[in-house]
Amino acid sequence: MSSSAAVETETEAPDLVCELDSIRGIVDALSSVRWKRLQDALVELSEHGIVIIVEETGCLQAKVYLQRELFIKYEYMAHGRPRFGVSLGLFIDSLNTFSVPGRSNILELRYPGPDMQLMLRSVDSPDACIYAEIRTRIPETISWDYNFEPAGSTPLSFTVKSAALKEAIDDLEWPGSSIQIKLQPSPPSVIFRGEGHGDLQIDFNYYANTDLLIAFSCDRQVSHRYKYKFLRATTSNIPGSVLRDNRGSKVTIGRGGMLKIQHLVSVAKPSVPHPHVDSAGYQQPSRIAYIEFFVKPEVEQEEEEDNVNEDA
Amino acid sequence: MKFKAFLTDNGINLLEKRILPALDKMGRICHLYLTRDHAFFLHNLLAADGVQSVAQFKKESLFNDYRISSNNDDRIAFSVDLSLLHRALRSILAIYADSRDFNPNGLLIKLVKKLPPNSTQATPFLTFEAKGYKSAVVQDVPVSKPLSRADVQELQLAVESCEQLPATLVMAPDLNSLQNCVDGMKHVGDVMGVSVSKYGDLHLQISTSLITLGAEFRKLKVLGERADRVTEDEGLSVQSRVERGVQRGDAMSVQVSVKHYFKCLQCSLAKPDCVFVGIAPQGACLMVFFQFFVPGTRVTDKSFSLHCRLPVLDTGST
Repeated sequence: MSSSAAVETETEAPDLVCELDSIRGIVDALSSVRWKRLQDALVELSEHGIVIIVEETGCLQAKVYLQRELFIKYEYMAHGRPRFGVSLGLFIDSLNTFSVPGRSNILELRYPGPDMQLMLRSVDSPDACIYAEIRTRIPETISWDYNFEPAGSTPLSFTVKSAALKEAIDDLEWPGSSIQIKLQPSPPSVIFRGEGHGDLQIDFNYYANTDLLIAFSCDRQVSHRYKYKFLRATTSNIPGSVLRDNRGSKVTIGRGGMLKIQHLVSVAKPSVPHPHVDSAGYQQPSRIAYIEFFVKPEVEQEEEEDNVNEDA
Repeated sequence: MKFKAFLTDNGINLLEKRILPALDKMGRICHLYLTRDHAFFLHNLLAADGVQSVAQFKKESLFNDYRISSNNDDRIAFSVDLSLLHRALRSILAIYADSRDFNPNGLLIKLVKKLPPNSTQATPFLTFEAKGYKSAVVQDVPVSKPLSRADVQELQLAVESCEQLPATLVMAPDLNSLQNCVDGMKHVGDVMGVSVSKYGDLHLQISTSLITLGAEFRKLKVLGERADRVTEDEGLSVQSRVERGVQRGDAMSVQVSVKHYFKCLQCSLAKPDCVFVGIAPQGACLMVFFQFFVPGTRVTDKSFSLHCRLPVLDTGST
């Protein structure tokens, strides 16, 4: 265990000291779950990596998984799983300060500081140091349980190009309010339907366009409604790199209609001089941050089939 | 009151490609102050607040055949909209560039009074003129009425007061990374502490109840008063090192608006070759000097200069 730059009265070993060389990628990953300006995040540390959780009014939760493989150094010394609250916006803004375009930067993350802060500092240059100490909070409540369970023996899921999913959800803005997502086995398709100021239906047909739906799994028809603003939050801040890399997003409907949307964000070191990799689209899986969104369905009136007037 | 001169190629290039884009970021409206030997672009010098910037040119660096006369010691000042000036210059260059033979002296620039359409009162314009093969082009940029004798005097005093140099200047690190850093900081808070030490440290920090975000650049080149680094401070945290420097009198610290600082750094559009930062005596203001080299050399071009003064924020403590 290396102890670097002892600062005044260091009491005991920190829970975590880690270093990363791809600040841009981490900023991308975190920004994808930033759907409003002021947002509190819960950070959970473990020997496997860092998980950042944000949620909204008990209906929407997002998790960013930064596995330890994304870090060039990861020294975890805590017992149990330390958790703390932090402002997501401040965290992203300060990370941004560290990333100088066109230069590789190494950032050290350390928790906790002398006053339980999250400590960041650049360690790549002896004569120029950027540092941040972000105040953390004791997490207030245990976040509600998003135990996602499969809806049956066959998973109800589809994988779609992230760009197409984003486009579809963006298009559903004008009917707004509540969006129905329907999966049906024959013909295999996914139907998004918005009814509000007007009607709009977007169909993803599995056989019509093989490029669009990369995978599809459904053995019976299922349909649930979700609030538009929550659906929008799942794709509105997808980083440009995901769209450029032509990645896919996986959408799964679980028990009770719980919707799970997964994105993959590349956390590659910028400008890796590697002649064989033309774009970031082809990379070892260890350089990927996993993003998961969970959206609760709108509470429907008992009848399954006809959902007439919903005014949740 | 007369002003007439020819913009040289060097002058055109300097204004169009570098100075005007940078100054435009400081604010659209500025004072153009012309004297017998110099031309100044001045921002906010008569205002109580905001970033002040002074771009000073020896007449030879911009003009050829420079003629000025006024009954106020041949000094003329007026305010002008920089984006209009920039646009007019760009548009006339399109013609001028093709018809150099007709304009052997350069691009004519003069101060005129004209009757604008639908008006009975003549108003002042700064006019560019270029002759072409088939036509002559005139671009009129409206300017304010000339400043009164008292205001010109005040401008002159403000320019002179700008010459009160900080005791110590440090050379800022690579402007790109500094700009990026301050850009990040401006999202986090409003007030930035800046300290400059005699041993070449520049420290920027924003501190709010939620976050402390800072950047320390060390071992920078120092101009003016310098001091030796104190070795026992080396193990300390950045903040305590700065505090001890200030206590010893080896460093000065002021607070400025992050937005002001960021604005000032946008002078990088003028493509300076290096930037020096210093704190004026008694912490009166933060000064940032942009230096330009004579092309192809490492020698400072003395014919023009650009610097900014950032007002220091009153923190309530004395």
